[in-house]
Amino acid sequence: MVVGGLREFALRRSGDGSPALDESNGEELMHVQPSVAVALGSRSVESPGTLYITSRKLIWLSDVDVAKGYAVDFLSISLHAVSRDPQTYSSPCIYTQIEVVEDDEDDTESAGVLELSKIREMRLVPSDATQLDTLFDVFCECAELNPEPVEEEEEESGHNWVFSADQMVVGGGGEEDAEWQISQSPTSVIGHSNGGDESIAQPMLELRINDQRFDDAEEMVHESETKDH
Amino acid sequence: MLFFSYFKDLVGQEVTVELKNDLAIRGTLHSVDQYLNIKLENTRVVDQDKFPHMLSVRNCFIRGSVVRYVQLPPDGVDVDLLHDAARREARGG
Repeated sequence: MVVGGLREFALRRSGDGSPALDESNGEELMHVQPSVAVALGSRSVESPGTLYITSRKLIWLSDVDVAKGYAVDFLSISLHAVSRDPQTYSSPCIYTQIEVVEDDEDDTESAGVLELSKIREMRLVPSDATQLDTLFDVFCECAELNPEPVEEEEEESGHNWVFSADQMVVGGGGEEDAEWQISQSPTSVIGHSNGGDESIAQPMLELRINDQRFDDAEEMVHESETKDH
Repeated sequence: MLFFSYFKDLVGQEVTVELKNDLAIRGTLHSVDQYLNIKLENTRVVDQDKFPHMLSVRNCFIRGSVVRYVQLPPDGVDVDLLHDAARREARGG
């Protein structure tokens, strides 16, 4: 799935003209708002159209031109807000910012052709301004449905972060408590867990005969006694 | 989940959110979710030159993945506590 900002979208169902969705991938229609105009970047508003909000993306389809429509994935919508100040924009609308991958400093129009993928701001102007708060809430819901995809890494234990110097010292010499240190990096683990059950938590970092942890317990008074070597 | 919990405690406080596109928005933290999506109220744009169209926005929703920094009120942070909590969480404890 390529996520790249605003793009053209004209795939409609033959029956009712609604947009064709990727249902096999779980995309569902969340909200339909008729009578919505769209303004891309600093361009003038385009209307009439219908806004379709799905669980993955936002689609605007022209009511009069079946070949005209735009779509943007929620993954690409950096922020959205209700805009009501008439001095900033003539009509109340939903203001959105679209994340654009900047490869060069092109204008939104080069050689007269509108470069949709460079559009950074989009306004959706419903003819019914009382619907703005509902639309804002639906946008919030859908944004929450589209978090960043998680890469293939272990969830809890695989982060390999280093926090302090004492993690770097193998064998943990000089520490006060007798607690085992669990290495964050599996590759430094030498050893075997009891009974081959890998869910038992604590592998040994290093097996050194002269490690203080193998010394006799503190209750032993005579440290010169024979040790098991 | 550490920062989610931390930000939940900051709800109601003034923060400035700086996005990866350099836009900085100041507002009252209304809510935050587990992906660190942020809802701000009473928002105003800090640098009005780049995104003048945003001036009028009262409330907004910011996607967590586009946030670069969240600037906190100076007395809203106990750095040592946060430091320890972060270490504990990453160690799986």
